[in-house]
Amino acid sequence: MSPGGRWFAKTLLTGVLPIVSLALLAGLLYGSAWGWAAAALGFLLVVCAQTHRLSVLLAWLDTPGRADSAHYPDAGGAWGEVFLKLSRKLRLDAKNLAAVEASLRSFREAMDAVPDGLVILDGSHRIQWHNRAAEAHLAIHMPRDTGAIIEQLVRTPGFGDYLGSPDATAPFLLQSPAARTRIYALRVVPLGERQKLLVSLDVTDARRVESMRSEFVANVSHELRTPLTVVSGFLEHFADDGAMNADQRQHFARLMSDQTARMLSLVDDLLTLSRLEAEDAPASEEDVDMADLLAQLLAEAKSLSEGRHRIEIACQGPTLRGNRKELHSAFGNLVSNAIRYTPAGGDIVIEWAVRRGAGVFAVRDSGVGIPAEHLPRLTERFYRVDRGRSRDTGGTGLGLAIVKHILLRHQAKLGIESQVGEGSTFRAEFPGWRLKAGA
Amino acid sequence: MSDHLSKQFDLELENIRTRILQMGGLVERQVLAAVDAFSTGNLEEMQQVIDNDSEVDAYEVGIDEDCTLLIARRQPTARDLRLIMAISRIVTDLERVGDKASKIANMSRKLHLAGGQRIPRLSDVYHSGRLATDMLQGALDSLARLDVDAARHVIGSDKAIDAAFNAILRQLITYMMEDPRTISEALDIIWIAKAIERVGDHAANIAENVVYVVSGTDIRHSAAVRKKADQA
Repeated sequence: MSPGGRWFAKTLLTGVLPIVSLALLAGLLYGSAWGWAAAALGFLLVVCAQTHRLSVLLAWLDTPGRADSAHYPDAGGAWGEVFLKLSRKLRLDAKNLAAVEASLRSFREAMDAVPDGLVILDGSHRIQWHNRAAEAHLAIHMPRDTGAIIEQLVRTPGFGDYLGSPDATAPFLLQSPAARTRIYALRVVPLGERQKLLVSLDVTDARRVESMRSEFVANVSHELRTPLTVVSGFLEHFADDGAMNADQRQHFARLMSDQTARMLSLVDDLLTLSRLEAEDAPASEEDVDMADLLAQLLAEAKSLSEGRHRIEIACQGPTLRGNRKELHSAFGNLVSNAIRYTPAGGDIVIEWAVRRGAGVFAVRDSGVGIPAEHLPRLTERFYRVDRGRSRDTGGTGLGLAIVKHILLRHQAKLGIESQVGEGSTFRAEFPGWRLKAGA
Repeated sequence: MSDHLSKQFDLELENIRTRILQMGGLVERQVLAAVDAFSTGNLEEMQQVIDNDSEVDAYEVGIDEDCTLLIARRQPTARDLRLIMAISRIVTDLERVGDKASKIANMSRKLHLAGGQRIPRLSDVYHSGRLATDMLQGALDSLARLDVDAARHVIGSDKAIDAAFNAILRQLITYMMEDPRTISEALDIIWIAKAIERVGDHAANIAENVVYVVSGTDIRHSAAVRKKADQA
């Protein structure tokens, strides 16, 4: 017998059978009128009891939070079983619902953590859902913009057309609506039958790197081309003009060798840079005697300056742990910069000292100074504050880039202070653990 | 049946709103490109702005016609009617802004082709151009979201552009006093600065229309109207 049939039989036995038999008994004993009366009374009682239980059930279903509690009204008998089953089912549903909600929540959290913007659009391009990255990329906000048409909020010309007929091969490039400083690549993917998924990817840095690379190639070619043009010009001159006197020839030859030297130093610098970039740390480190290194720098500075500047050194710091060859190259670059950008008669101070636990190598000059807006870009390759003059003075445009790389490998920071017309200070700060105590 | 009709009507209304906002996006880019071209002297960009103006005009004609048709066919009431009325006013404002952009591009072109630049391209002009486009963007955003607070904010920021315009004027006057040969160039720059300032005014107008759509109160010329009422 099925559970429903069993329940029906049980209800019949316990509820209906006693009343019927009682009514039959009353009818036999006192006549049929009493029998009917007893039956009617019995069924009336049953109906009352059932109605009461139904009202209890209703009240229980309306009680908030009933799903969490294991308590259900005790109705007893056949109804009790129904109540028990109902309450079990409700509890199970609540549990399933909580599980689904939790997994949905964790899914949303995962979507919010995705760095790419995701927006789900319905058939008429209304925003149904989007993650947090999309808020920043497209300047839309939940829940205010849920249901808004995306073309009304992202109004860049061409976007609407792209959304209507997305090009599978090329993304749509969008300048951020908020700040206009970042660039996003948008792609549209069909989702289901009518929905669309809009994916936005921040490509600002990628594009910047791309433009830096092409700029770098252009710069290198330009820098190499200039001296080559000069040399080839002189060579043509030599070939054409047979009647050139010895003095003139000597003069031209010297100019040509100057130019080739420049090319050589440029290629050297480029090789140094690429070597520095290839490895993260210096090949070997030793204790560098700074007094000795500073004396060497002074000697080189004097020969470069040819007596046009007053150059002093002040060595008060301890021995520094690092790669001597690299440090020499970095410091030498800073010193030669100072000499090149300080007019004759200026002062240059080379200093090694300990300040607040850090080893500080500083080159101070009384030169032309650098306007503040150039400072952040100074260590970029081929960045020139003044295009005309820096090439006259013989720089390759790579010096500070090399300095920056070497200092990075020694965990040191480059600090630049400058005042136009008063001079500049270039400072390399080495971490305390690179200093040798007691030296 | 009526439900189906009103759905169709909503769709048409939304379409018009989308179109006018897209027109706004185009106009916004026109102004930004014109101001940018003025600062950098990029002739190609100036020409682009001048060429694109016909696209703005095409938008205006199309949206105007759609508004008329919608009113004739659907007889909108209350907020829908206000929205349609506001849109047909905003279209005019946007078209004017588009004209200003092509005017700025034209002037910049003329300045550039004349050569012999004596006045540096003031960064203030670019700055006030950014202020104006930011305002325009804010006004369009408030229209897209029907956000009264944002609209009021846009109306309030018009003062900053007026102040920027006055600052540019003062700078140019100093140039003109120092060297009378700069006068013709300075006058052209004043035209450009004035055009940018007008863009800000149009953006404020758009925002006022948004307030009208949402709250039903017309706040245009409210100061002047109140003054007149006081006098009477």
